[in-house]
Order: sequence, then C-alpha cells, then structure tokens
Amino acid sequence: MQPRNILVLFWAADPWYSYRVNRSDTTCDPRKRKGGICLEQTVIMKILSHAAGRPVSVGERVWCGVDLASARDFGGANCVLQFQKEMGTDAKVWDPEKVAFTFDLQAPSHSEKVSNNQKIIREFARAQGIRHLFDINHGIGQLVMLEAGLIRPGGVVLGTDSHMNLLGAVGAFATGVGNSDVAAAYVSGKAWFRVPETMRITVSGTFRPGVCMRDLITRIIGDLGSGGMDYLAVEFTGETIERASLAERITLCSLVTEMSGKIPLILPNGEVLSWLSARVGEDLTACVAALRPDDDAAYCAELHYDVGTLEPMVSCPDSPENVRPVSEVAGTHVDQVHIGSCSNGRFEDLKAAYDVLVAGGGRVDPGTRVIITPSTSEVQLECVRWGLAQAFLEAGIVFTNPTCALCTAEHYGTLPSGDVGAATNSRNFIGKVGKGSHTYLMSPMTAMATAIRGEITDPREFLPGAR
Amino acid sequence: MNIKTGRAWVFGDNVDTDLIYHNKYLAETDPAQMPQYAFEYYPGMERFATEVQPGDFVVAGKNFGCGSSREHAIYCLKYAGVPCILAETCSRIYYRNAVNNGYPVLFVKGLSAAIRDGSVRTGDRLEVDLDNGVIRDADTGAVLRGDAVGDLEHDIMAAGGLFGYMRNSAKKGEA
Repeated sequence: MQPRNILVLFWAADPWYSYRVNRSDTTCDPRKRKGGICLEQTVIMKILSHAAGRPVSVGERVWCGVDLASARDFGGANCVLQFQKEMGTDAKVWDPEKVAFTFDLQAPSHSEKVSNNQKIIREFARAQGIRHLFDINHGIGQLVMLEAGLIRPGGVVLGTDSHMNLLGAVGAFATGVGNSDVAAAYVSGKAWFRVPETMRITVSGTFRPGVCMRDLITRIIGDLGSGGMDYLAVEFTGETIERASLAERITLCSLVTEMSGKIPLILPNGEVLSWLSARVGEDLTACVAALRPDDDAAYCAELHYDVGTLEPMVSCPDSPENVRPVSEVAGTHVDQVHIGSCSNGRFEDLKAAYDVLVAGGGRVDPGTRVIITPSTSEVQLECVRWGLAQAFLEAGIVFTNPTCALCTAEHYGTLPSGDVGAATNSRNFIGKVGKGSHTYLMSPMTAMATAIRGEITDPREFLPGAR
Repeated sequence: MNIKTGRAWVFGDNVDTDLIYHNKYLAETDPAQMPQYAFEYYPGMERFATEVQPGDFVVAGKNFGCGSSREHAIYCLKYAGVPCILAETCSRIYYRNAVNNGYPVLFVKGLSAAIRDGSVRTGDRLEVDLDNGVIRDADTGAVLRGDAVGDLEHDIMAAGGLFGYMRNSAKKGEA
C-alpha cells in the first residue's frame, strides 16, 4: 500500500518559502482570482474567511474572532496569571460564555502545586462568571467540550493542548496555543493566524479485522515523517472517512499533530452529524454545507490511501515517525501497557480492546502492568453499563477514572528507567513517560493483544476470521 | 548594527518540547523558575541548565519545538538569557509562542546539514547579525543566512510580544 497520486506543487520542494514571506496564494489559478483573493476555497479558507469577516488568501495573516478560548489545569493558571498581570486583577474577560477550563493533567490532583493551580482557575471562573469549568470528574478537555456541545463545525477554538486540533474531526478549527494566545483572547476575543495551504488525503477501502484507523494514521506518519504536514491544513475525505465513526475520526485527527499539521478537517455527515447536532442543540446540516470545499479549490498536495491491505502498525521508540509493521517487532517484551489518551480513549476504542481480550481468554499476562483510562466520564460510564469495566477488572487490569494519564509524566504509570511500554498514546518521545524508558505506540487492539502475551503481539492472532 | 556574540549549544532535528522542558515541571507558573529545567531530558545536554551563560545561543535543525503547546519551552530559554533561537525550521506552536513573547527565532537555511557535518558545534563562538540575518561561526568559519519573518510576526516581536502589540494597536485605534 503505497501512497499514490502525490501531486506536490511548490510545497514539498521548499515548505518554508511560502511560509516565511507574506505572499499571495501561489497555488491558486490566477484566472480564479479577484483583487488578489482566491475565489475557490478549501475548508480552512472558508472557516478563516468567516472568522476574519472577509475572504482570505493562503499565506496571509488574519485576525479571527475566537468562539471558545479554553485552557487546562496545565497552562490554565498561567493564562489567568498572565491576564491579571497584564490587565489588572479587576479586568474582565471579553465574553465569559466563550471561555472554558478543563482539568485533565492531574485529575484528581496529587501535588500541592497542581492543586493550587486548579484553585486559581476555580476562583477566576467564579469571579468572571465563567460557567464552562469542567472539574476533575470530567476527563480529557477537548473531548469533554465536544460531548458538552460547545464545539461547532467552522468554530475557532483555542486550547492549551497541542492535540486540540483533533476537534477538526467535526470540522472545527481548533488549535493548540500557549498561554499568551489564550490570555490575549480573554482581552480582545481574537487571535492571529496564517492562512495555511491545504493537503488532501483521500481514503478508500475497508479495514480487515484487527486493523483500524490508528494503523492508518500510524502508517501515514511513517510515510510523511514528523514534519510532513508542517503548517498545513489537511482535509480527510473518501468513502472510508465518510463511513467512519466519530471515534475513528478523532483518532485520525489527533495524530496529525505528530506530523506538525495545523488542522485536520473532516466535515461531519451521517451519524456523526446527527450526534453533533443533538449535542449542540441545533440542526447543523446547513452549517456544514457552508464549509464544503469548492470543486476546484487548490490543494498543495494530494495523497490517496487504500486501507484494504493495511496491516497493524507500530511507532517504535523514540519517535512517532519510527514506524514499522507489528509483524517486524512481534515478540518484543513489554513491562506495561496503557490504553487510553485523547487519541484512542473513546468507547469504541475500549470496546475494540475488550473484544480482543475476550477472544484471547479474558486475562492479561500476570507479569505485565496494564492500565486502561477512558477519555471522559461519559465513556467510563458506558464501560460500566456494558460490562467492559467488570471484564477489565477481572482480567487483572487497572481501570481508572478519565484523565490524560500517562501522557503527563507526573501522573500514575510513570515508567522506571529501562522499562518498555506499549501504549495507544500519541507520543513516545525520549523519556516522555519516564527518563530512560521507551514506548511503542499502537492501536487499542494491538495493545490488548500485547497485554495478553506480555510481548508485542498482532491482534489477528486472537481474532476469529482475521487471518 | 545589532550583532550578538555568544557560544553555541547545538541540537538536532525534531527536538520536541518534552526534551526542551519536560512535562514533569508543567505545574510551574513562574517563568523565572523555568530555566533550571531546560533540556534536562535531552540525552547529553543535561548540563545545559547549569552551564548556559546569558548570551549563549540555542542552535537546532528542523522542526525545533515539535510536540506540546507549553509556553514553558520558550520561557526556559528566554529567562536563561538566550538572546534568540537559531533553527532551520520551528514547529508552528513553538514559533507562535516565541512571536507572542517577542522572542526572536531566526530561520536559517542549511543549518540542519551544517550541524550534521560539524560546521556548527556546541561550544563554538557565534556572531549573529540579527538585522541582516547573518550567522558566522568564528571557530569553523562557516557563514549561514537567516530569513526574514512575516510582517505581522515582525510587528508583534517588535512590540515585545502579543500584549505589547495589542496595546499599540489600541492606541492607534485598530484591532
């Protein structure tokens, strides 16, 4: 399965040229321009045009209205303190309905420092009349806000989390930022952006049993590398995407960050659109239709993947781009397995792991520490309701409350030096989960198969009909 | 002429924010406390935090600062007295955070290769002409050129950061 039809224009030859210099859109057919503005727009151009209040061109810098400025317990206190330092302790945020806080770094907190940071945020929210504070009992921020109906297609969302952009799974322009951008938005309700070029990835085919969206995006990271989507918007399209569940779309979008992409975008359809409309409390059909890319919009690169022959993939230590098929590393001993994170902590992810567990006899290897972390309390409750929680506990697994878990080293599950982890997390940078440790990244199915054996294992060895 | 001289601390490609400033210390809210943790997790660079001198440069290859959105990874260098970052390219959130703090990042074509072939090494004396974007390694004689940033980024940096820029704009009755 090689990527085909790679029509790389100026972008691949020199990604920086168009970035550093304020230039008009070099990818747009001059005949389709009017007054320097490209009339044929990709999804991100439509979103930014709307947010900026005027048509935008690729490469220009624009100030956009912010629909939601969120921060976590990591970064949140920094936002509050910076806002108060710059504007005074009596200053008011521009719109308390458009400010949100989520506690997912340490939930519940186990250090005085984080406890104090959380308190700073709670007091600020109270004083400012900010209703959207999701305390320690909710889970991973962007997914909690999605479930709470705060995210709309085309919305501009800031957050102190580099995986904020997974909300592109419902067509929102959500982006990770530092505390300065959030604190400045508290004042002006605006943020600056460079209008990015757009890459389009078309996906066709049906996954074979034991293979899933995580394997596809891992494969793409291996093909394109850590900087392979630098500064780009990426539209995912094609029959496989149109059929994909919300959980699958989230997995796909969450890992675009590992290629330095700016925003992945999938326009909601079918069940995802119905689900989102119900959450937001409004029919979003017209909202989505307005974001559809123009027929001859310009893409800086187009890739096509067919998933029909895809195999389970892993990212080997110590980088997400160090990708190999599971078959090449099968048998590698692991000390700990973690299933969860914003990438693969939805109910469907845990259900896929559960199915492998059941098929593999219902017990994990007694010498392997196995931790499962649902991404939100809603997912946790579903796991209880459908019997997954009980099965995990009976299997010898630690089944926790929802948090970012191992993606933050000061949480539980920190690995000692020399240990090897297997995880569905998004990153395996050197020492991220503990100095001197190393982690393999994989799908929930592969992670559970690995938990059963205590060594990296192809899930198709357990799944009936997979071979 | 705005020429700065200092020693180089040289890093490779794809240096992620956990290597620059590990997530173990994210609860820190005082930027002045952040330099003590800089590069603690970067194998072979553990001494950076104790040995870095004000005026030293951080020099890196492609995609510097990939990974997390933490602004700590800017503060830990800025407050250590590192005058600017020289990198072939920076990851986008890291670049934004630098701009928003008025912290100069110079994009230097060919720097990744220069690091790999040893024409810029840790400990070398560098002369950096920030106005003209010229970098000279006084020990190896290598000369590299940086690129200009976009107009808006330039204006934000010149105003000392995002809040300074907003104040200037408010005075002019814009934005």
